[in-house]
Amino acid sequence: MEQWIDIAKGPLFALTFLIMVLGLLRLVIIQVYSLLGRKGRLLRNAPWRKIFADALTWVVPVRHLIPGTKLFSVISFLFHIGILVVPLFLADHIVLWERFVGVSLPAIGYTLADTLTLFTLAALAVLFGYRVLLPRLRAMSQPADYYLLMVIFMPFATGYAASHPSVNPISWEAMMLMHLLSAELLFILIPFTKLAHIVLFFFDRVSAVHWQLRPGAGDRVAEALYGREAKV
Amino acid sequence: MERENISAARPVVSKTAERKYPYYIENPVIENRVDRFLEAFSAILQFTDYRALLDSYCTSNAKCNRCAVACPIYLVTGDPRDIPCYRTNLLLDIYRRYFTIGGWFKSRFSDSFELTEDIIDDMLDVFYRCTACRRCTRECPMGVDHGLITRLGRYILSLINIVPKALQVSVREQLEGETHNTSKVPKEALLNTLEFLTEELEDMLGIKMAFPVDCERRDFVFFCAVSDYLMEPETLMGNAAVLYAAGDWDRWTIGTCNYDGINYGLFYSDWHLERIIQQLVNEVDRLKGKSILIGECGHASRSAHDFVPIFGGRNPHPVMNFMEYTLDCIRRNRITLNGEVITERVTYHDPCNIARSGWIVDQPREILRSFVRDYVDMTPMGENNYCCGGGGGLVSIDEIHEFRMSVAGRLKADQLLQTGADICIAPCANCKKQLKELVEYYHIPCKIMGLHDLILQAIEIPGAKTARERKEEAALLEM
Repeated sequence: MEQWIDIAKGPLFALTFLIMVLGLLRLVIIQVYSLLGRKGRLLRNAPWRKIFADALTWVVPVRHLIPGTKLFSVISFLFHIGILVVPLFLADHIVLWERFVGVSLPAIGYTLADTLTLFTLAALAVLFGYRVLLPRLRAMSQPADYYLLMVIFMPFATGYAASHPSVNPISWEAMMLMHLLSAELLFILIPFTKLAHIVLFFFDRVSAVHWQLRPGAGDRVAEALYGREAKV
Repeated sequence: MERENISAARPVVSKTAERKYPYYIENPVIENRVDRFLEAFSAILQFTDYRALLDSYCTSNAKCNRCAVACPIYLVTGDPRDIPCYRTNLLLDIYRRYFTIGGWFKSRFSDSFELTEDIIDDMLDVFYRCTACRRCTRECPMGVDHGLITRLGRYILSLINIVPKALQVSVREQLEGETHNTSKVPKEALLNTLEFLTEELEDMLGIKMAFPVDCERRDFVFFCAVSDYLMEPETLMGNAAVLYAAGDWDRWTIGTCNYDGINYGLFYSDWHLERIIQQLVNEVDRLKGKSILIGECGHASRSAHDFVPIFGGRNPHPVMNFMEYTLDCIRRNRITLNGEVITERVTYHDPCNIARSGWIVDQPREILRSFVRDYVDMTPMGENNYCCGGGGGLVSIDEIHEFRMSVAGRLKADQLLQTGADICIAPCANCKKQLKELVEYYHIPCKIMGLHDLILQAIEIPGAKTARERKEEAALLEM
């Protein structure tokens, strides 16, 4: 078991983390390339001030609490704090970041980490419940929307169990291995699923740039389909 | 209103070979729509820049349902098909399956999603159940622009000839017809109308102002929704009165080769959008005009303001909405509005295209507050305002009147009723038509007007009859 943990902590961690970074980088490069390369001078026309001002309102989205989704929105916002703070700033994780990424982050206290973890788990359960029980949400959900919540649930649940022997039904080693593997599964999934919004959220926001239509493109589309004499 | 009424208003899409469309279509395609749709989609991806956007959206859209509670249509129907994200995903699913490597890979190894005739039926229905008001976009945490995706969906459909006849016929007349405008108003009729407006203004104000037609090298070339010449003479008279009072009578003109600001391309086609803008710019160039002044019309203002800089050549003409011009005149004390004559309660409807998707929210309010005593805002207002229910070209489609009234405009009607206003200002040709129909449908005691209709009542022009005299005269006439 020990050597499995070592593998999961060592090469496997490095590999999956690399997959995540490269996968996200690929998405960013595609977006930047197509914005700079294809939009070109149209980028200057885009209302950048408005785009950034709008993006900023989502950092602490109090202005976006609209009737009908208030509880859902508050929970999913706080949930994001949990899933960012605990993986990055827990003392045991900082060691890994130092070893593989070379950055040293400040550590948060264990009480805070425990509270955030429990909160995140509860939030995940609520979000899952919403998806199952709220008809409009269920109607538009696809399998990935459910299983991704469970994939995020795993590393938090196993991490908590591993650090609290009283709630751990199996051995520490087995739990720790599960913790590592589930986190690594998450790493791999991030660039290929909607979790990629950790980098794409900004590129999603620039729809005002995409309203800057390319001159002549409409004519070329019509010509390709109906020839030069295309009529309305 | 009861649920049954609402579902009765749903257009029927039958699944039989004899397909029924929810709106009239010229020469509807029956055969092979799936292949033709994919062919059109791939041509669009090849020549335009939508790919990056679609890539980003189809990876990261969160399906969080926040858009649902922002959508004035879904809030009324409660039908999952009306959720903006559901609608967007109809198109994203097709993109993912047929135009991404992942989708191709998946289709080799599993029974993945396939585009069917039924999905096309679904799309042509839901894409035209959306008023393209983009209220959902503001509430999407990812910023997914459902309005833009709906527009793209309509664009693809229009390329396989699925487009409401009302829109297609108008655009054809505008681009290929003799009159070059959507309402088929010939030049002679325009000149007659302008003459009529001159006479009306003379009756009302006691001043003769002959409209400047085809004058070259003027500062402003004026375009309004051409339907205003037929249906909204008071708005145009208000516009004229402001220009006259501000001493700018010899700084503006109306062109007779093209006098229509309407651009339905904004709602469904990049191709038409660009050609209509070019036509507009050509007219300004012909008259050697400096800038483009757009009358009270939401989508005309937005399409000119946003797309003249892109399609308008190297030195694009500046574009201004008439309300900006009027506000400027008020701020610089070039016109005087009488604050005593408007005693009714007035509210303001924000047209989506210039408020949420544009730049005009506070300007008309500043104008109104300067001379209206009892001004109230709607809730929500400004960029969060509800659509009138006729946006995105829907107002021109007569056969979906019932849908526009009982579903799309229902929240707007409630909102209007709650303000208790006697007059609702709607500075947009589309909104005006829809709201006039709404107040009739719901028996709301509220008069729908343009901003300049009201200004016409209150403006004081040196040498003309005063606003108070005009009000007394009008009261006498009504008796």
